[in-house]
Amino acid sequence: MKQELKDVLEYMLEITQKAGADECDAILNKGESFSLSAQNGDIDKYKVSGSEVLGVRVIKDSKVGISYTESFDKDALNLAASSAVENALNSEENEYEHILATKGEMIEPCEFTKEDVSIEEKIDFCLRLESEVKKKDKRVQSVPYNGYAENEASSYYLSSSGLFGFHNEYYQSCYTSALLQAQNQSSMYYHSSIGRSFSELDLESCVEKSIYHAAQWLDAKALSTGNYDIIFTTDAFSEILNCFSLIYSGKSAMEGTNPYVDYLNQKVMSSALTIKDSPKYQKAFFKYHFDSEGQEHKDLHLIQDGVLKSFYHNSVTANYFGLDTTAHAARSPKGGLGVRGTTRVISTGTLSNNELESGEYLEIHSLQGLHSGADAISGEFSFAASGYLCRDGQRVAPVKGITVSGNFYKMMKEIHLIGDEQLSDAQRGFFAPKLRFEKMSVAGS
Amino acid sequence: MLEKSIANDIIFEALSLGADFCDIFVEKTQVESLMMNTSKLKDLKTGVDYGIGIRLIFGHKALYGYTNSNKRDELLKLTKVLAQKYKVETSHIKDVEFKTRHPHLVPFINDQSVELSEKIAKLHEIDKQVRQKNDFISQVNISLLLKKQNIEVFDSEGLHIKDYRPYCRLATSAVAKDAGEQAVGSWAPGVRGGYEFVKGLDVDWLADYTAKQAVNVLKAKHCPAGKMPVVIDNGFGGVIFHEACGHSLETTSVEKKASEFWDKKGEVIANEALSAVDDGTLDHLWGSLSVDDEGMQTQKTQLIKNGVLENFLCDRLGEIKTGHPRTGSARRESYKFAPASRMRNTFIEAGNYKLDELLAAMGDGLYAKSMGGGSVNPGTGEFNFSVQEGYLVKNGKLTDAVKGATLIGKGGDIMKNISMVADNLDYAAGTCGSVSGGVPVTVGQPAVKVDEILVGGKA
Repeated sequence: MKQELKDVLEYMLEITQKAGADECDAILNKGESFSLSAQNGDIDKYKVSGSEVLGVRVIKDSKVGISYTESFDKDALNLAASSAVENALNSEENEYEHILATKGEMIEPCEFTKEDVSIEEKIDFCLRLESEVKKKDKRVQSVPYNGYAENEASSYYLSSSGLFGFHNEYYQSCYTSALLQAQNQSSMYYHSSIGRSFSELDLESCVEKSIYHAAQWLDAKALSTGNYDIIFTTDAFSEILNCFSLIYSGKSAMEGTNPYVDYLNQKVMSSALTIKDSPKYQKAFFKYHFDSEGQEHKDLHLIQDGVLKSFYHNSVTANYFGLDTTAHAARSPKGGLGVRGTTRVISTGTLSNNELESGEYLEIHSLQGLHSGADAISGEFSFAASGYLCRDGQRVAPVKGITVSGNFYKMMKEIHLIGDEQLSDAQRGFFAPKLRFEKMSVAGS
Repeated sequence: MLEKSIANDIIFEALSLGADFCDIFVEKTQVESLMMNTSKLKDLKTGVDYGIGIRLIFGHKALYGYTNSNKRDELLKLTKVLAQKYKVETSHIKDVEFKTRHPHLVPFINDQSVELSEKIAKLHEIDKQVRQKNDFISQVNISLLLKKQNIEVFDSEGLHIKDYRPYCRLATSAVAKDAGEQAVGSWAPGVRGGYEFVKGLDVDWLADYTAKQAVNVLKAKHCPAGKMPVVIDNGFGGVIFHEACGHSLETTSVEKKASEFWDKKGEVIANEALSAVDDGTLDHLWGSLSVDDEGMQTQKTQLIKNGVLENFLCDRLGEIKTGHPRTGSARRESYKFAPASRMRNTFIEAGNYKLDELLAAMGDGLYAKSMGGGSVNPGTGEFNFSVQEGYLVKNGKLTDAVKGATLIGKGGDIMKNISMVADNLDYAAGTCGSVSGGVPVTVGQPAVKVDEILVGGKA
């Protein structure tokens, strides 16, 4: 933690209050990163960055204004302070938004040890992300996407009520891809790894998985159009859940776009489903200690036995519904107050892999068009997909060039085939057992 | 924004360390954003982005760093850190004398100062009109973004240029609700210009369009799945070319051979009915530029002429790696990204047919009136994009509205399957995300008939 950055925050609050704010808070984020990528046996991208941004939120006459600056000289800070107050004066009354009257300190440094790894070792590692893929298969045309990165980020929070928060993160990551081509057919897959230290990065897994799936899908065919049972990988299912994450949002409920807004304490999903937000889940890579209003995170049941138990709330959405905040406030220096989940965990069911994977089904590994193919308002989705046709747990044919379509809300009501083993996505931010969705629409040949 | 003497010192340092080339990108962007929902102004924010990006090129290697500091010592330190691994004994030291050039500014609507209260009143007017259009409308979300981006580029070839880029975008979405079912309609035009653009909008038309689309989707049936012919209408329908072909023509993909067209220049890659351009010079279109982010004057680039691939979109690094000439297409979201070859205003050129002729020729199939977004893997050419508002066509006539349709395929295949091009060319604004971040782009096309494509829907 850097005292000079805390001093900047204190100065910011002082001048914002002098400019006329009734209440205010400020967030200061500082980030540093280093990244590399390789092409044709040499480093082709080498990036070093450092950035700082400070955002201030003002309450004035029950109105809210926000301003931010990436320059910390006094002129820039004064302009940000006066702009936030002016924005508040021009805004409309918001009876629900206040700066929480919490005092104290929330300091949660991330535990990590920086290894002594030379630039040369990092460059060699990055070059291997390309060369190891090329060595594995003669059909590799290129390794278009690969890279090594290290990121360090710190976040400081200070409110006019006297609450100070500090949190930092440090992690490293790598990824690679394999683009294979043969006889006018091409296929590509990529895989990534994340760790707190250089030695935690799993280069071999990135290489193996990229090559394996790209090679399998090179000769893949589309299935006949029809209805198929589907088991998504944990990564693919996490992506689908993220497309529809507004169902948990107290903010979208307040704004009338959450389809579950009128269904609190009612059954909205299959009674076989329990979904929890678990900020300090032991197996998760990132741990979340306090939210953007400085409130301490706690476990929260979102869905329990199919019943909607809670939305994510910040103080504003909680005030609107007459509830307490669930400590899921989210705010970046450049944005207004929203809500955000942490690590989501779906409870395991009772079916063994043998039971879950009996008969014929599709195992979907890769989805495309997630940002455009999902309508969170209606629940309709249609994604391009790749995976494997499986029988009794065995992959019998690679499949690509298909679409998987359905309605997310109906799909989550009908699910009842749930595995008994907890799995995680590659980033260790989502945990779920295998779920088998029956008779989904697949378009193919 | 950056003292010339500091820029000179940075470039001298970079060349002293053996860089073949160095450029400096300075950015100061003022942002104003208003968001309205539940008929109330919910979010009003302003801010200033400021930063400096330094790029050193050693052979084919691009070393890039950025910082918020404009202090000489900090910038020189960043330059040394970037070059630490690659510095060479034989340096390319030379005195750089900057020759300041002034870009030919793309014309834009005069950006007079407008009171915040006037902008807020406009959002209320839009909100009210959309809600009045149909009783099924349960919610309206509106956002207004005004950006003023000032950039400055210095490079080791003596270039010094400044540019001013105003942007204005208004996004409106309407939610229709009936018996637990919900659907959304939206429209989000944008210009390289100021708030006067919003003043000139036909609010009644905008309200009618978004409300009707939401209600049509609400009442729509599920789209049948399978291969079928599709007529894709104009404007944002151009996302099909953007995804299926445009990204594969950027040297960012071509230089890695991660493009199905990397070695196809001069060859037929599309139906002869199809000609396409990427034009950065079009007045105040959302993707227009005066100069690109390497300071090069932008231009009109003929990509495909009568089915033949004529040009790629190329930045400096792309030129070094592929030999294709630069096209004024180097773009980045902000100083936090190194520039890369990107699209600007990309569209299929108008043909001679009428929309009705395309529908009649199709007979039975799908009419995609408006498109959602999409994405592509340039390496394999596999793309997907969603149909926001679609209708089944029987005997050349529109019948049922359908929802949940996605079109997928390979770029090389679909470009050959576009057999008819209408005369109703129109444009639409979008944000394209890629290696150098999200940049404003225009997509466009007249209506086109695709003879066969896989439609994802209900089996």
